[in-house]
Amino acid sequence: MTYFLQNVVNALQWGSFYALIALGYSMVYGVLLLFNFAHGDVFMVGSYIGFFVATGLVGLSATGIITLPYWLILVLTILISMILTSFVGMLIERVGYRPLRDAPRASAAITGLMIGIILETLNLIALGAERYKFPELLQSQTYDFMGVSITNKKIMIVFVSLLLMYLLNLFVMKTKWGMAMRAMAYDFAVVPLMGIPLNTIAALTFGLGSALAAAAGILFGTAYPVMDPYMGVTIGWKAFVAAILGGRGSIVGAAVAGFILGFIEIFSASIFPSTYRDLIAYSIILLILVFRPHGLFGQEHTSKLRL
Amino acid sequence: MTAQTIQESKKGRRFRLWWQSVWSRFDDVPLLGWLVGALVAVGLEYAVGRPFAQLLGMRKSPALFGFLFILKEPWLIPSAIVYVAVMYILPIAAVAKVTAAVANKTAAAMLRISTLLSVAIHLVLLYAVLHIWTDVLPYRLIVVKLTLIAIVITLSLNVVNGYMGEFSCSHPGFISLGAYGASVVTILLFDDPGPWLFPLALIVGGIVAAIGALLVAIPSFRTRGDYLAIISLAFTFIIKSFMENMEFVGGPRGLGGQPNWASLPVVFVVTIIAIWVINNFVRSILGKALNAVRDNEAAADAMTVNTRRTKMTAFLFSAFWAGVAGGLLAHVLAFINPASFGLQKLAEVLAMVYFGGLNSVVGSIVGAVSLNLLGEMLRPLEIWKWIVIPLMLILMMIYRPTGLVAFKEFDIVALLQPKKTTKGDE
Amino acid sequence: MPLLEVKHMTHFFGGLRAVHDFNLSIEKGEIRGLIGPNGAGKTTIFNLITGVYTPTEGEILFQGQPIVGLQPHEIASRGLSRTFQNLRLWRHMSVVEHIKMARYSKLTYGLVGAFFDTPERRRQEEESDEIAHRLMKELGISHLADQIVTNLPYGAQRRVEMARALATEPDLLFLDEPTAGMNPEELVEMMDIFRQVHEEFGMAIFLIEHRLRVVMELCERIQTLVFGEVIAEGTPDEIQNNPKVIEAYLGEEDIH
Repeated sequence: MTYFLQNVVNALQWGSFYALIALGYSMVYGVLLLFNFAHGDVFMVGSYIGFFVATGLVGLSATGIITLPYWLILVLTILISMILTSFVGMLIERVGYRPLRDAPRASAAITGLMIGIILETLNLIALGAERYKFPELLQSQTYDFMGVSITNKKIMIVFVSLLLMYLLNLFVMKTKWGMAMRAMAYDFAVVPLMGIPLNTIAALTFGLGSALAAAAGILFGTAYPVMDPYMGVTIGWKAFVAAILGGRGSIVGAAVAGFILGFIEIFSASIFPSTYRDLIAYSIILLILVFRPHGLFGQEHTSKLRL
Repeated sequence: MTAQTIQESKKGRRFRLWWQSVWSRFDDVPLLGWLVGALVAVGLEYAVGRPFAQLLGMRKSPALFGFLFILKEPWLIPSAIVYVAVMYILPIAAVAKVTAAVANKTAAAMLRISTLLSVAIHLVLLYAVLHIWTDVLPYRLIVVKLTLIAIVITLSLNVVNGYMGEFSCSHPGFISLGAYGASVVTILLFDDPGPWLFPLALIVGGIVAAIGALLVAIPSFRTRGDYLAIISLAFTFIIKSFMENMEFVGGPRGLGGQPNWASLPVVFVVTIIAIWVINNFVRSILGKALNAVRDNEAAADAMTVNTRRTKMTAFLFSAFWAGVAGGLLAHVLAFINPASFGLQKLAEVLAMVYFGGLNSVVGSIVGAVSLNLLGEMLRPLEIWKWIVIPLMLILMMIYRPTGLVAFKEFDIVALLQPKKTTKGDE
Repeated sequence: MPLLEVKHMTHFFGGLRAVHDFNLSIEKGEIRGLIGPNGAGKTTIFNLITGVYTPTEGEILFQGQPIVGLQPHEIASRGLSRTFQNLRLWRHMSVVEHIKMARYSKLTYGLVGAFFDTPERRRQEEESDEIAHRLMKELGISHLADQIVTNLPYGAQRRVEMARALATEPDLLFLDEPTAGMNPEELVEMMDIFRQVHEEFGMAIFLIEHRLRVVMELCERIQTLVFGEVIAEGTPDEIQNNPKVIEAYLGEEDIH
């Protein structure tokens, strides 16, 4: 039982990463009907930006000009990195996707893949092959809870991601911009006719998704401090699969499916040899998709990565 | 397609006119003439290339037209230019021009006797050119082999992503299945395998890949939409993870020691067969049904096209050739591991298809050859290569979203035709 | 035995009744019309008979054989071809390729032929080519053979669709508003084509039309559909003078 609960805690933590990233994929799909294949690498960029912001703030603190407590540094790091990464996301939209608005969607998919490669390479060029280590902003503390060991990091990660999802939901449901996004997801063609600027909404969507990915990147960095330029490939693509599992364009679906993927992975790794983790996770997802082609929360789309 | 109006500078226009006037002098050269010219050029290089290169201050003949050292030893650039001009451009141009009249007559005569004969002779010439060119440096040999294999891979993916208009991400998985399937036959199954086994091994690789394709196709083609994209992507991940867990093929460490049977003639012949069969298929009505399904499935259905069978056949056919290419690849490299058939491979094959041009056999050949050669030529840029190539692709997608030579039919007979001379005589 | 017989066909979309108790019987060589206001379910009836949807209830016999539940391409191969209201052409294909494509079910060379360019394949493809050229000539679009359809004017596209439908060698041809969007000259030409097709190939035609002039001139019998139900059936004269039709249809629609 404790073993089970221990796994639940771990699954919630992994699910948080996947869910936050998957939201970005889903929002973009909802609005523009395309998969932003560069999004995994935005997560990587966000994590690195977080690294620099955190290191900078820690350094600033050390100089003694302003002394900041570590919890404040963590909060500031998350906020500043989210903002900076959202600019990266908007830049990607402006440069890579906007010129292709009328092109076949497959072309946009290729552009996304290529932007991803460029981001990885730029990272390698700028930082070299050295692995950077995320500064420890949260002194690790382990609580023993009925035999289940829970670290304060895990609590923080799950809490922050749930908070962000709640805020996103508020934004999408209550604000004018959120409403425009939903309208766009509902009917792509009509919205521009109603005086809602498509470009602004698209940029906003990319920005929001990227901000969430940045948050995921920092949370990931606090849990697993060693970063590498290809972290977006391994984690990001799984989150993409989660977004599909949740149902293309469904925000709730992406969040839920992110956690489901976390659970599938942690539990399959606890039952089978850990090398089978990906095999089992993807096979389960494939099976679910065979029986629920449009994902858990998705609506039927007849659209296609069209020529 | 967005028509891009480019304001040409005066200088640019003059250059273009000059270039056209130069090029128009070669209007009357048939393919046969070019091939003969190339043969003479590579023969010349074979005979005197090395001493000539040393005379120009280089250690040996530049492997890929001098691109490989332009950054490291920029002072050799003039030498490389002279070398390329004297060894390739001048002999090809001279021979092509001088033999144009004879070549035209010969080409016409050959076509009159039989198309097959003409095709065969052209292919023999092409092979001879490649053979002699690669004989100079072993590095060239591996580049040419990998490029030929890339043609097969690109072409097979174009059947699904171009002709059928789906977005399949499962090609790395198919190549992997083919590579492993063929390797198991040649390494593990027999004690003392002979080269006769190789065709069989390649076919086994293709069939294994096609069986894998069945697993993707059955759920994917039940509903419409971008369903295949997702399932095929998951499939690639699953195959990679599966191979990592199969200890008898080396698990994550990979499988090495494939016999050295994928020689240039073998790879060349397989590539030619692949081009021929795929081109036959996409030009037949059964193959064009793919376009009909892509452009309007309901209309295809109403016009008696069995849409489901069409899609399944094409998908399995595409996977088969990817598998065959995988088998070749394994034996050219003599080593495979699961990690090399992941997302990197996916980006690579997609890039070749979309760069070269959708729905076009010529486009796929162009895409595979140009990106492969470019990849090798840009080697001196080291890591910057992975900025330059993706940027090129992004620009291509913005200005020509369907690729360089999209929606063109590949008419072999037209290619082999003698060219009419500018003076208008026969 | 009638060529096509539809008995008590009813169809629901979810809870919505789109077609109610539709009956139809078309004889060989007959020209039939189906009229009705927008949204009456005319195209739905086409889609039900041609296998795009499977009717909730009812029986459909084509040449004496039940065809309910067959795939559209199977029904089409048995000799029931159609055109679409909103021109469904293949945007990257040329005119001649369109018409050859409709020969799909007549080809027997199989995958071996497709892959290896066998003599049998060449023979069959050449035959399809001849048929395509004959049809293009009859419909006056020979000069457009190698044009990509998206570059053609609307009238020409309609002809391509017609030629494509004819290339399946149908015994019965369903035409879904074939003159929609045509100007008066084109309309006259198109009607000539219908007559020509009817006389030359002796095929039966089932026609949905908005323009009463076309239906009245061509059809021997006409059905009027309102809200998925047939409210009147008869000769053009009977229909024109039927008060129910006038109320439901003529009253609100533009008569050309």
